[in-house]
Amino acid sequence: MGYGDEGFTIYDLLLWAEGLGITLWIFILSTVIGLVLGVLIGLVRYYHITILGKLLMIVSESLKNSPVIVQLFLVYFGIPALLQIDMTPNMAAVITLSGNTAAFVAVIVISSIESIDRRQLEAARSFALPKLVILRHIIFPQSLSIAMPMLVSLAINQLQVTSLVSVIGVIDLTRVGDIVNQRTFEPFIVWPLIGLTYFILAKLIAIVGMRLERKFSAYRLVGEL
Amino acid sequence: MIEIKKLHKNFGDLQVLKGVDLTLKPGEVVSILGGSGSGKSTMIRCINGLEGITSGSIFVDGFDVSNKKELLEVRKKCSTVFQQFDLYPHLSVLENITLAPVYVLSSSKKDAEAIALDLLDSVGLADKKDVFPAQLSGGQKQRVGICRALAMRPDYLLLDEVTSSLDPEMTAEVLDILKKLAREGITMISVTHEIEFAREISDRIVFLDQGRILSDLPKDEFFAGDGGLADPRIARFLSKMGEFNGQA
Ligand SMILES: Nc1ncnc2c1ncn2[C@@H]1O[C@H](COP(=O)(O)OP(=O)(O)OP(=O)(O)O)[C@@H](O)[C@H]1O
Ligand SMILES: [Mg+2]
Repeated sequence: MGYGDEGFTIYDLLLWAEGLGITLWIFILSTVIGLVLGVLIGLVRYYHITILGKLLMIVSESLKNSPVIVQLFLVYFGIPALLQIDMTPNMAAVITLSGNTAAFVAVIVISSIESIDRRQLEAARSFALPKLVILRHIIFPQSLSIAMPMLVSLAINQLQVTSLVSVIGVIDLTRVGDIVNQRTFEPFIVWPLIGLTYFILAKLIAIVGMRLERKFSAYRLVGEL
Repeated sequence: MIEIKKLHKNFGDLQVLKGVDLTLKPGEVVSILGGSGSGKSTMIRCINGLEGITSGSIFVDGFDVSNKKELLEVRKKCSTVFQQFDLYPHLSVLENITLAPVYVLSSSKKDAEAIALDLLDSVGLADKKDVFPAQLSGGQKQRVGICRALAMRPDYLLLDEVTSSLDPEMTAEVLDILKKLAREGITMISVTHEIEFAREISDRIVFLDQGRILSDLPKDEFFAGDGGLADPRIARFLSKMGEFNGQA
Protein backbone atom coordinates (compact mmCIF):
# COMPACT_ATOMS: atom_id res chain seq x y z
CA MET A 1 0.00 0.00 0.00
CA GLY A 2 1.01 3.62 -0.40
CA TYR A 3 2.17 5.86 2.37
CA GLY A 4 1.78 9.47 3.49
CA ASP A 5 -0.02 11.90 1.19
CA GLU A 6 0.57 9.67 -1.75
CA GLY A 7 -1.41 6.67 -0.43
CA PHE A 8 -4.68 5.36 -1.81
CA THR A 9 -7.83 7.10 -0.62
CA ILE A 10 -11.52 6.44 -0.88
CA TYR A 11 -11.44 9.11 -3.56
CA ASP A 12 -9.45 6.74 -5.78
CA LEU A 13 -12.26 4.23 -5.53
CA LEU A 14 -14.73 6.88 -6.66
CA LEU A 15 -12.43 7.81 -9.48
CA TRP A 16 -12.21 4.14 -10.47
CA ALA A 17 -15.99 3.85 -10.46
CA GLU A 18 -16.28 6.96 -12.56
CA GLY A 19 -13.73 5.72 -15.08
CA LEU A 20 -15.49 2.36 -15.22
CA GLY A 21 -18.77 4.17 -15.84
CA ILE A 22 -17.31 6.20 -18.71
CA THR A 23 -15.69 3.13 -20.25
CA LEU A 24 -18.93 1.17 -20.01
CA TRP A 25 -20.98 4.05 -21.35
CA ILE A 26 -18.71 4.53 -24.36
CA PHE A 27 -18.54 0.80 -24.95
CA ILE A 28 -22.28 0.16 -24.73
CA LEU A 29 -23.30 3.23 -26.72
CA SER A 30 -20.79 2.62 -29.51
CA THR A 31 -21.65 -1.08 -29.60
CA VAL A 32 -25.37 -0.41 -29.97
CA ILE A 33 -24.88 2.33 -32.58
CA GLY A 34 -22.23 0.25 -34.34
CA LEU A 35 -24.53 -2.78 -34.44
CA VAL A 36 -27.41 -0.84 -35.94
CA LEU A 37 -25.22 0.92 -38.50
CA GLY A 38 -23.29 -2.24 -39.31
CA VAL A 39 -26.47 -4.24 -39.90
CA LEU A 40 -27.82 -1.48 -42.16
CA ILE A 41 -24.57 -1.35 -44.14
CA GLY A 42 -24.57 -5.14 -44.40
CA LEU A 43 -28.16 -5.19 -45.67
CA VAL A 44 -27.57 -2.41 -48.20
CA ARG A 45 -24.66 -4.47 -49.41
CA TYR A 46 -26.61 -7.74 -49.45
CA TYR A 47 -29.51 -6.32 -51.40
CA HIS A 48 -27.09 -4.76 -53.89
CA ILE A 49 -28.26 -1.20 -53.48
CA THR A 50 -25.22 -0.44 -55.58
CA ILE A 51 -24.04 3.15 -55.29
CA LEU A 52 -24.87 3.42 -51.61
CA GLY A 53 -23.40 -0.01 -50.94
CA LYS A 54 -20.11 0.80 -52.67
CA LEU A 55 -19.80 4.12 -50.88
CA LEU A 56 -20.48 2.57 -47.48
CA MET A 57 -18.05 -0.25 -48.21
CA ILE A 58 -15.26 2.21 -49.03
CA VAL A 59 -15.94 4.00 -45.75
CA SER A 60 -16.02 0.80 -43.75
CA GLU A 61 -12.89 -0.58 -45.45
CA SER A 62 -10.99 2.58 -44.51
CA LEU A 63 -12.28 2.32 -40.94
CA LYS A 64 -11.18 -1.29 -40.62
CA ASN A 65 -7.76 -0.67 -42.11
CA SER A 66 -6.58 2.43 -40.27
CA PRO A 67 -5.44 2.77 -36.65
CA VAL A 68 -8.20 3.67 -34.21
CA ILE A 69 -5.96 6.34 -32.67
CA VAL A 70 -5.69 8.09 -36.02
CA GLN A 71 -9.47 7.89 -36.41
CA LEU A 72 -9.91 9.36 -32.93
CA PHE A 73 -7.66 12.32 -33.74
CA LEU A 74 -9.42 12.81 -37.06
CA VAL A 75 -12.85 12.89 -35.48
CA TYR A 76 -11.82 14.93 -32.43
CA PHE A 77 -9.78 17.56 -34.25
CA GLY A 78 -10.98 17.20 -37.83
CA ILE A 79 -14.76 17.26 -37.59
CA PRO A 80 -14.98 20.43 -35.40
CA ALA A 81 -12.63 22.25 -37.77
CA LEU A 82 -14.47 21.05 -40.85
CA LEU A 83 -18.05 21.53 -39.69
CA GLN A 84 -17.50 24.40 -37.26
CA ILE A 85 -19.10 22.53 -34.37
CA ASP A 86 -18.05 21.79 -30.81
CA MET A 87 -16.99 18.27 -29.99
CA THR A 88 -16.36 16.87 -26.53
CA PRO A 89 -13.80 14.08 -26.13
CA ASN A 90 -16.60 11.70 -25.09
CA MET A 91 -18.61 12.50 -28.21
CA ALA A 92 -15.57 11.98 -30.41
CA ALA A 93 -14.91 8.67 -28.68
CA VAL A 94 -18.45 7.38 -29.23
CA ILE A 95 -18.52 8.53 -32.85
CA THR A 96 -15.18 6.95 -33.67
CA LEU A 97 -15.84 3.65 -31.95
CA SER A 98 -19.36 3.41 -33.38
CA GLY A 99 -18.01 3.81 -36.90
CA ASN A 100 -15.23 1.37 -36.25
CA THR A 101 -17.59 -1.22 -34.76
CA ALA A 102 -20.06 -0.71 -37.62
CA ALA A 103 -17.34 -1.46 -40.17
CA PHE A 104 -16.57 -4.81 -38.55
CA VAL A 105 -20.24 -5.65 -37.93
CA ALA A 106 -21.02 -5.04 -41.62
CA VAL A 107 -18.47 -7.65 -42.64
CA ILE A 108 -19.82 -10.13 -40.10
CA VAL A 109 -23.40 -9.51 -41.26
CA ILE A 110 -22.55 -10.07 -44.91
CA SER A 111 -20.55 -13.23 -44.31
CA SER A 112 -23.26 -14.63 -42.01
CA ILE A 113 -26.04 -13.97 -44.49
CA GLU A 114 -24.00 -15.50 -47.27
CA SER A 115 -23.40 -18.65 -45.31
CA ILE A 116 -27.14 -19.36 -45.12
CA ASP A 117 -28.20 -22.13 -47.47
CA ARG A 118 -29.56 -20.33 -50.54
CA ARG A 119 -31.98 -23.05 -51.51
CA GLN A 120 -34.27 -22.53 -48.52
CA LEU A 121 -34.47 -18.86 -49.51
CA GLU A 122 -35.56 -19.92 -52.99
CA ALA A 123 -38.11 -22.23 -51.40
CA ALA A 124 -39.42 -19.30 -49.37
CA ARG A 125 -39.69 -17.14 -52.48
CA SER A 126 -41.47 -19.90 -54.34
CA PHE A 127 -44.20 -19.75 -51.68
CA ALA A 128 -44.68 -16.03 -52.42
CA LEU A 129 -43.28 -14.95 -49.05
CA PRO A 130 -42.50 -11.21 -49.14
CA LYS A 131 -38.86 -10.08 -48.95
CA LEU A 132 -39.30 -8.53 -45.52
CA VAL A 133 -40.83 -11.70 -44.06
CA ILE A 134 -37.96 -13.73 -45.48
CA LEU A 135 -35.51 -11.26 -43.95
CA ARG A 136 -37.21 -11.17 -40.57
CA HIS A 137 -38.16 -14.82 -40.16
CA ILE A 138 -35.56 -16.76 -42.14
CA ILE A 139 -32.43 -14.72 -42.81
CA PHE A 140 -32.26 -12.80 -39.54
CA PRO A 141 -32.53 -15.66 -37.03
CA GLN A 142 -30.10 -17.88 -38.90
CA SER A 143 -27.50 -15.22 -39.55
CA LEU A 144 -27.75 -14.12 -35.93
CA SER A 145 -26.94 -17.66 -34.88
CA ILE A 146 -23.96 -17.80 -37.23
CA ALA A 147 -22.79 -14.27 -36.36
CA MET A 148 -23.07 -14.60 -32.59
CA PRO A 149 -19.56 -16.01 -31.86
CA MET A 150 -18.00 -13.38 -34.17
CA LEU A 151 -20.02 -10.58 -32.58
CA VAL A 152 -19.00 -11.69 -29.11
CA SER A 153 -15.30 -11.67 -29.94
CA LEU A 154 -15.70 -8.33 -31.70
CA ALA A 155 -17.37 -6.91 -28.57
CA ILE A 156 -14.56 -8.16 -26.36
CA ASN A 157 -12.03 -6.65 -28.73
CA GLN A 158 -13.87 -3.33 -28.90
CA LEU A 159 -13.95 -3.21 -25.10
CA GLN A 160 -10.15 -3.25 -25.10
CA VAL A 161 -10.07 -0.66 -27.89
CA THR A 162 -12.03 1.78 -25.69
CA SER A 163 -8.85 2.20 -23.64
CA LEU A 164 -7.40 4.22 -26.56
CA VAL A 165 -9.88 7.05 -26.06
CA SER A 166 -7.79 8.37 -23.16
CA VAL A 167 -5.43 9.93 -25.74
CA ILE A 168 -8.01 12.57 -26.65
CA GLY A 169 -8.66 13.32 -23.01
CA VAL A 170 -11.59 11.04 -22.10
CA ILE A 171 -11.40 10.14 -18.39
CA ASP A 172 -12.04 6.46 -18.92
CA LEU A 173 -10.84 3.52 -16.85
CA THR A 174 -7.35 3.59 -18.38
CA ARG A 175 -6.99 7.33 -17.86
CA VAL A 176 -8.07 6.87 -14.22
CA GLY A 177 -5.35 4.27 -13.85
CA ASP A 178 -2.86 6.77 -15.22
CA ILE A 179 -4.04 9.53 -12.87
CA VAL A 180 -3.98 7.35 -9.77
CA ASN A 181 -0.64 5.87 -10.72
CA GLN A 182 0.94 9.28 -11.17
CA ARG A 183 -0.21 10.30 -7.74
CA THR A 184 0.52 7.13 -5.79
CA PHE A 185 3.52 5.75 -7.72
CA GLU A 186 2.15 2.26 -7.23
CA PRO A 187 2.15 0.86 -10.80
CA PHE A 188 2.20 -2.74 -9.61
CA ILE A 189 -0.99 -2.24 -7.70
CA VAL A 190 -2.80 0.19 -9.99
CA TRP A 191 -2.30 -1.47 -13.36
CA PRO A 192 -3.11 -5.05 -12.30
CA LEU A 193 -6.33 -3.73 -10.73
CA ILE A 194 -7.24 -1.80 -13.88
CA GLY A 195 -6.35 -4.83 -15.98
CA LEU A 196 -8.45 -7.06 -13.75
CA THR A 197 -11.43 -4.73 -14.22
CA TYR A 198 -11.17 -5.06 -18.02
CA PHE A 199 -10.72 -8.80 -17.64
CA ILE A 200 -13.87 -9.16 -15.56
CA LEU A 201 -15.87 -7.06 -18.02
CA ALA A 202 -14.60 -9.18 -20.91
CA LYS A 203 -15.51 -12.36 -19.04
CA LEU A 204 -19.01 -11.05 -18.43
CA ILE A 205 -19.42 -10.35 -22.14
CA ALA A 206 -18.14 -13.82 -22.94
CA ILE A 207 -20.55 -15.47 -20.51
CA VAL A 208 -23.58 -13.57 -21.76
CA GLY A 209 -22.39 -14.20 -25.32
CA MET A 210 -22.13 -17.93 -24.70
CA ARG A 211 -25.69 -18.03 -23.35
CA LEU A 212 -26.99 -16.20 -26.41
CA GLU A 213 -24.95 -18.38 -28.73
CA ARG A 214 -26.44 -21.49 -27.21
CA LYS A 215 -29.95 -20.11 -27.41
CA PHE A 216 -29.69 -19.03 -31.04
CA SER A 217 -28.01 -22.18 -32.29
CA ALA A 218 -30.25 -24.74 -30.59
CA TYR A 219 -31.63 -25.76 -33.97
CA ARG A 220 -28.17 -26.59 -35.29
CA LEU A 221 -27.05 -28.54 -32.26
CA VAL A 222 -30.06 -30.82 -31.83
CA GLY A 223 -29.12 -32.97 -34.78
CA GLU A 224 -25.83 -33.88 -33.16
CA LEU A 225 -27.32 -35.07 -29.89
CA MET B 1 -54.39 -24.48 -66.37
CA ILE B 2 -50.64 -24.17 -66.84
CA GLU B 3 -49.71 -23.14 -70.38
CA ILE B 4 -46.10 -23.15 -71.45
CA LYS B 5 -45.51 -21.83 -74.96
CA LYS B 6 -42.26 -21.82 -76.94
CA LEU B 7 -40.29 -21.59 -73.72
CA HIS B 8 -36.61 -20.84 -74.19
CA LYS B 9 -34.16 -20.56 -71.34
CA ASN B 10 -30.50 -19.75 -71.73
CA PHE B 11 -27.79 -19.51 -69.11
CA GLY B 12 -25.37 -17.21 -70.87
CA ASP B 13 -24.44 -19.04 -74.05
CA LEU B 14 -25.88 -22.33 -72.87
CA GLN B 15 -29.31 -23.04 -74.32
CA VAL B 16 -31.04 -25.22 -71.76
CA LEU B 17 -34.65 -25.08 -72.92
CA LYS B 18 -35.16 -24.77 -76.66
CA GLY B 19 -38.83 -24.18 -77.31
CA VAL B 20 -40.89 -26.17 -74.84
CA ASP B 21 -44.67 -26.33 -75.27
CA LEU B 22 -46.66 -27.95 -72.51
CA THR B 23 -50.18 -27.66 -71.18
CA LEU B 24 -51.42 -28.97 -67.88
CA LYS B 25 -55.15 -29.11 -67.29
CA PRO B 26 -56.75 -29.08 -63.85
CA GLY B 27 -56.77 -32.56 -62.34
CA GLU B 28 -54.02 -33.85 -64.60
CA VAL B 29 -50.91 -35.58 -63.36
CA VAL B 30 -47.98 -35.23 -65.71
CA SER B 31 -44.62 -36.86 -65.19
CA ILE B 32 -41.51 -35.41 -66.77
CA LEU B 33 -38.80 -37.88 -67.67
CA GLY B 34 -35.47 -37.15 -69.24
CA GLY B 35 -31.76 -37.58 -68.90
CA SER B 36 -29.58 -35.61 -66.57
CA GLY B 37 -29.07 -32.06 -67.79
CA SER B 38 -32.05 -32.19 -70.14
CA GLY B 39 -33.59 -29.16 -68.44
CA LYS B 40 -36.27 -30.70 -66.22
CA SER B 41 -35.40 -28.73 -63.10
CA THR B 42 -34.96 -25.59 -65.13
CA MET B 43 -38.46 -25.99 -66.52
CA ILE B 44 -39.95 -26.37 -63.03
CA ARG B 45 -37.96 -23.36 -61.83
CA CYS B 46 -39.30 -21.30 -64.71
CA ILE B 47 -42.87 -22.13 -63.72
CA ASN B 48 -42.49 -20.87 -60.14
CA GLY B 49 -40.38 -17.94 -61.27
CA LEU B 50 -37.12 -18.99 -59.61
CA GLU B 51 -35.55 -18.60 -63.05
CA GLY B 52 -36.54 -15.83 -65.42
CA ILE B 53 -37.48 -17.02 -68.89
CA THR B 54 -35.46 -16.02 -71.94
CA SER B 55 -38.35 -16.06 -74.39
CA GLY B 56 -41.74 -17.64 -74.84
CA SER B 57 -44.41 -17.53 -72.17
CA ILE B 58 -45.79 -19.32 -69.14
CA PHE B 59 -49.31 -18.63 -67.93
CA VAL B 60 -50.88 -20.16 -64.84
CA ASP B 61 -54.65 -19.72 -64.83
CA GLY B 62 -54.09 -16.66 -66.98
CA PHE B 63 -51.38 -15.16 -64.77
CA ASP B 64 -48.11 -14.37 -66.55
CA VAL B 65 -44.98 -15.53 -64.68
CA SER B 66 -42.85 -12.88 -66.34
CA ASN B 67 -44.96 -10.12 -64.81
CA LYS B 68 -43.73 -9.34 -61.31
CA LYS B 69 -47.19 -8.79 -59.78
CA GLU B 70 -48.78 -11.74 -61.52
CA LEU B 71 -45.88 -13.97 -60.49
CA LEU B 72 -47.07 -13.61 -56.90
CA GLU B 73 -50.45 -15.04 -57.92
CA VAL B 74 -48.67 -17.82 -59.79
CA ARG B 75 -46.66 -18.63 -56.69
CA LYS B 76 -49.78 -18.75 -54.54
CA LYS B 77 -51.28 -21.23 -56.98
CA CYS B 78 -48.22 -23.44 -57.39
CA SER B 79 -46.44 -25.09 -54.48
CA THR B 80 -43.09 -26.76 -55.02
CA VAL B 81 -41.61 -29.76 -53.26
CA PHE B 82 -37.83 -29.75 -53.57
CA GLN B 83 -35.31 -32.50 -54.11
CA GLN B 84 -33.23 -31.47 -51.08
CA PHE B 85 -36.33 -30.68 -48.96
CA ASP B 86 -35.03 -27.16 -48.29
CA LEU B 87 -36.90 -26.77 -45.03
CA TYR B 88 -36.14 -23.79 -42.81
CA PRO B 89 -33.67 -25.33 -40.34
CA HIS B 90 -34.27 -22.90 -37.48
CA LEU B 91 -38.04 -23.36 -37.39
CA SER B 92 -39.94 -26.24 -35.88
CA VAL B 93 -41.77 -28.62 -38.17
CA LEU B 94 -45.05 -26.86 -37.38
CA GLU B 95 -43.56 -23.40 -38.02
CA ASN B 96 -42.08 -24.60 -41.31
CA ILE B 97 -45.57 -25.47 -42.45
CA THR B 98 -47.42 -22.42 -41.09
CA LEU B 99 -45.00 -19.66 -42.17
CA ALA B 100 -46.35 -19.13 -45.68
CA PRO B 101 -50.05 -19.59 -44.81
CA VAL B 102 -49.70 -16.96 -42.07
CA TYR B 103 -47.72 -14.40 -44.05
CA VAL B 104 -48.98 -15.03 -47.57
CA LEU B 105 -52.57 -16.18 -47.15
CA SER B 106 -53.01 -14.12 -43.95
CA SER B 107 -54.42 -17.12 -42.12
CA SER B 108 -54.62 -16.76 -38.37
CA LYS B 109 -51.89 -18.65 -36.55
CA LYS B 110 -54.52 -20.88 -34.99
CA ASP B 111 -56.14 -21.85 -38.29
CA ALA B 112 -52.75 -22.39 -39.93
CA GLU B 113 -51.68 -24.65 -37.09
CA ALA B 114 -54.88 -26.66 -37.20
CA ILE B 115 -54.42 -27.25 -40.93
CA ALA B 116 -50.73 -28.06 -40.44
CA LEU B 117 -51.56 -30.60 -37.74
CA ASP B 118 -54.14 -32.27 -39.99
CA LEU B 119 -51.56 -32.50 -42.76
CA LEU B 120 -48.89 -33.83 -40.42
CA ASP B 121 -51.36 -36.36 -39.15
CA SER B 122 -52.12 -37.50 -42.69
CA VAL B 123 -48.44 -38.23 -43.32
CA GLY B 124 -47.96 -39.84 -39.92
CA LEU B 125 -45.82 -37.13 -38.36
CA ALA B 126 -48.18 -35.50 -35.88
CA ASP B 127 -45.82 -36.36 -33.03
CA LYS B 128 -42.94 -34.52 -34.71
CA LYS B 129 -44.59 -31.11 -34.84
CA ASP B 130 -42.25 -29.46 -32.36
CA VAL B 131 -38.88 -30.83 -33.45
CA PHE B 132 -36.37 -29.12 -35.74
CA PRO B 133 -35.74 -30.47 -39.26
CA ALA B 134 -32.27 -31.64 -38.16
CA GLN B 135 -34.02 -34.16 -35.93
CA LEU B 136 -35.85 -35.85 -38.81
CA SER B 137 -34.83 -38.57 -41.24
CA GLY B 138 -34.71 -37.71 -44.94
CA GLY B 139 -38.06 -39.32 -45.61
CA GLN B 140 -39.63 -37.48 -42.70
CA LYS B 141 -38.15 -34.20 -43.93
CA GLN B 142 -39.65 -34.73 -47.34
CA ARG B 143 -43.02 -35.56 -45.85
CA VAL B 144 -42.82 -32.23 -44.01
CA GLY B 145 -41.83 -30.65 -47.34
CA ILE B 146 -45.02 -32.04 -48.85
CA CYS B 147 -47.09 -30.74 -45.92
CA ARG B 148 -45.47 -27.31 -46.30
CA ALA B 149 -46.47 -27.28 -49.96
CA LEU B 150 -50.02 -28.51 -49.33
CA ALA B 151 -50.62 -26.05 -46.50
CA MET B 152 -50.81 -23.33 -49.15
CA ARG B 153 -53.84 -25.09 -50.63
CA PRO B 154 -52.17 -24.98 -54.03
CA ASP B 155 -53.98 -25.54 -57.29
CA TYR B 156 -50.83 -27.08 -58.71
CA LEU B 157 -48.10 -29.11 -57.11
CA LEU B 158 -44.62 -29.01 -58.68
CA LEU B 159 -42.33 -31.87 -57.74
CA ASP B 160 -38.67 -32.00 -58.72
CA GLU B 161 -37.20 -35.44 -58.08
CA VAL B 162 -38.58 -35.40 -54.60
CA THR B 163 -37.28 -38.85 -53.75
CA SER B 164 -33.88 -38.86 -55.40
CA SER B 165 -32.01 -37.99 -52.22
CA LEU B 166 -33.77 -40.74 -50.26
CA ASP B 167 -32.97 -44.39 -49.75
CA PRO B 168 -35.50 -46.93 -51.15
CA GLU B 169 -37.41 -47.39 -47.93
CA MET B 170 -37.90 -43.66 -47.43
CA THR B 171 -38.64 -43.30 -51.14
CA ALA B 172 -41.53 -45.71 -50.74
CA GLU B 173 -43.03 -43.81 -47.81
CA VAL B 174 -42.92 -40.54 -49.74
CA LEU B 175 -44.23 -42.02 -52.99
CA ASP B 176 -47.16 -43.59 -51.15
CA ILE B 177 -48.22 -40.16 -49.99
CA LEU B 178 -47.91 -38.72 -53.49
CA LYS B 179 -49.89 -41.60 -54.98
CA LYS B 180 -52.66 -40.90 -52.52
CA LEU B 181 -52.64 -37.22 -53.48
CA ALA B 182 -52.80 -38.13 -57.16
CA ARG B 183 -55.80 -40.37 -56.52
CA GLU B 184 -57.50 -37.52 -54.67
CA GLY B 185 -57.32 -35.51 -57.87
CA ILE B 186 -54.56 -32.97 -57.19
CA THR B 187 -52.99 -31.43 -60.28
CA MET B 188 -49.28 -32.00 -60.51
CA ILE B 189 -46.15 -31.91 -62.57
CA SER B 190 -43.64 -34.40 -61.30
CA VAL B 191 -40.07 -34.68 -62.47
CA THR B 192 -38.95 -38.15 -61.58
CA HIS B 193 -36.57 -41.00 -62.25
CA GLU B 194 -39.00 -43.46 -60.71
CA ILE B 195 -40.50 -45.06 -63.81
CA GLU B 196 -42.84 -47.33 -61.90
CA PHE B 197 -44.13 -44.39 -59.91
CA ALA B 198 -44.65 -42.37 -63.09
CA ARG B 199 -46.53 -45.26 -64.65
CA GLU B 200 -48.75 -45.55 -61.62
CA ILE B 201 -49.76 -41.93 -61.05
CA SER B 202 -49.53 -40.17 -64.42
CA ASP B 203 -52.16 -39.29 -66.95
CA ARG B 204 -49.47 -38.16 -69.34
CA ILE B 205 -45.76 -38.66 -69.66
CA VAL B 206 -43.51 -36.02 -71.14
CA PHE B 207 -40.03 -36.93 -72.24
CA LEU B 208 -37.52 -34.13 -72.32
CA ASP B 209 -34.25 -34.44 -74.19
CA GLN B 210 -31.62 -31.70 -74.46
CA GLY B 211 -34.11 -28.93 -73.86
CA ARG B 212 -36.79 -30.20 -76.25
CA ILE B 213 -39.89 -32.26 -75.70
CA LEU B 214 -39.27 -35.52 -77.49
CA SER B 215 -42.66 -36.97 -76.71
CA ASP B 216 -45.79 -35.98 -74.85
CA LEU B 217 -48.09 -38.97 -74.68
CA PRO B 218 -50.94 -40.36 -72.62
CA LYS B 219 -49.47 -42.88 -70.23
CA ASP B 220 -50.92 -45.91 -72.02
CA GLU B 221 -49.38 -44.91 -75.32
CA PHE B 222 -46.05 -44.09 -73.75
CA PHE B 223 -45.76 -47.48 -72.12
CA ALA B 224 -47.59 -49.45 -74.84
CA GLY B 225 -46.07 -52.86 -75.49
CA ASP B 226 -43.26 -53.36 -73.03
CA GLY B 227 -40.05 -52.13 -74.64
CA GLY B 228 -41.92 -51.33 -77.81
CA LEU B 229 -41.48 -47.60 -77.46
CA ALA B 230 -41.64 -45.46 -80.55
CA ASP B 231 -38.44 -43.59 -79.91
CA PRO B 232 -35.25 -45.56 -79.37
CA ARG B 233 -33.78 -42.78 -77.24
CA ILE B 234 -36.66 -43.10 -74.79
CA ALA B 235 -36.29 -46.85 -74.77
CA ARG B 236 -32.58 -46.49 -74.04
CA PHE B 237 -33.32 -44.04 -71.28
CA LEU B 238 -35.94 -46.29 -69.78
CA SER B 239 -33.70 -49.30 -69.84
CA LYS B 240 -30.99 -47.28 -68.14
CA MET B 241 -33.45 -46.14 -65.52
CA GLY B 242 -34.57 -49.73 -65.13
CA GLU B 243 -31.04 -50.77 -64.32
CA PHE B 244 -30.72 -47.86 -61.97
CA ASN B 245 -33.88 -48.80 -60.10
CA GLY B 246 -32.81 -52.42 -60.07
CA GLN B 247 -29.57 -51.60 -58.35
CA ALA B 248 -31.10 -49.25 -55.80
N1 LIG C 1 -28.05 -21.44 -62.72
C1 LIG C 1 -27.46 -22.07 -63.77
N2 LIG C 1 -26.43 -21.48 -64.40
C2 LIG C 1 -25.83 -22.08 -65.45
N3 LIG C 1 -26.20 -23.29 -65.94
C3 LIG C 1 -27.22 -23.92 -65.33
C4 LIG C 1 -27.90 -23.35 -64.21
N4 LIG C 1 -28.87 -24.20 -63.82
C5 LIG C 1 -28.80 -25.26 -64.65
N5 LIG C 1 -27.82 -25.10 -65.57
C6 LIG C 1 -27.48 -26.02 -66.65
O1 LIG C 1 -28.65 -26.29 -67.38
C7 LIG C 1 -28.68 -27.63 -67.80
C8 LIG C 1 -29.98 -28.25 -67.38
O2 LIG C 1 -30.01 -28.32 -65.97
P1 LIG C 1 -31.25 -28.91 -65.17
O3 LIG C 1 -30.90 -28.83 -63.74
O4 LIG C 1 -32.48 -28.25 -65.62
O5 LIG C 1 -31.25 -30.41 -65.65
P2 LIG C 1 -32.13 -31.62 -65.16
O6 LIG C 1 -32.85 -32.15 -66.31
O7 LIG C 1 -32.94 -31.22 -63.99
O8 LIG C 1 -31.01 -32.66 -64.72
P3 LIG C 1 -30.96 -33.67 -63.48
O9 LIG C 1 -31.72 -34.88 -63.88
O10 LIG C 1 -29.52 -33.96 -63.33
O11 LIG C 1 -31.54 -32.96 -62.30
C9 LIG C 1 -27.45 -28.28 -67.24
O12 LIG C 1 -26.47 -28.34 -68.24
C10 LIG C 1 -27.02 -27.37 -66.14
O13 LIG C 1 -25.64 -27.41 -65.96
MG1 LIG D 1 -32.91 -31.63 -61.89
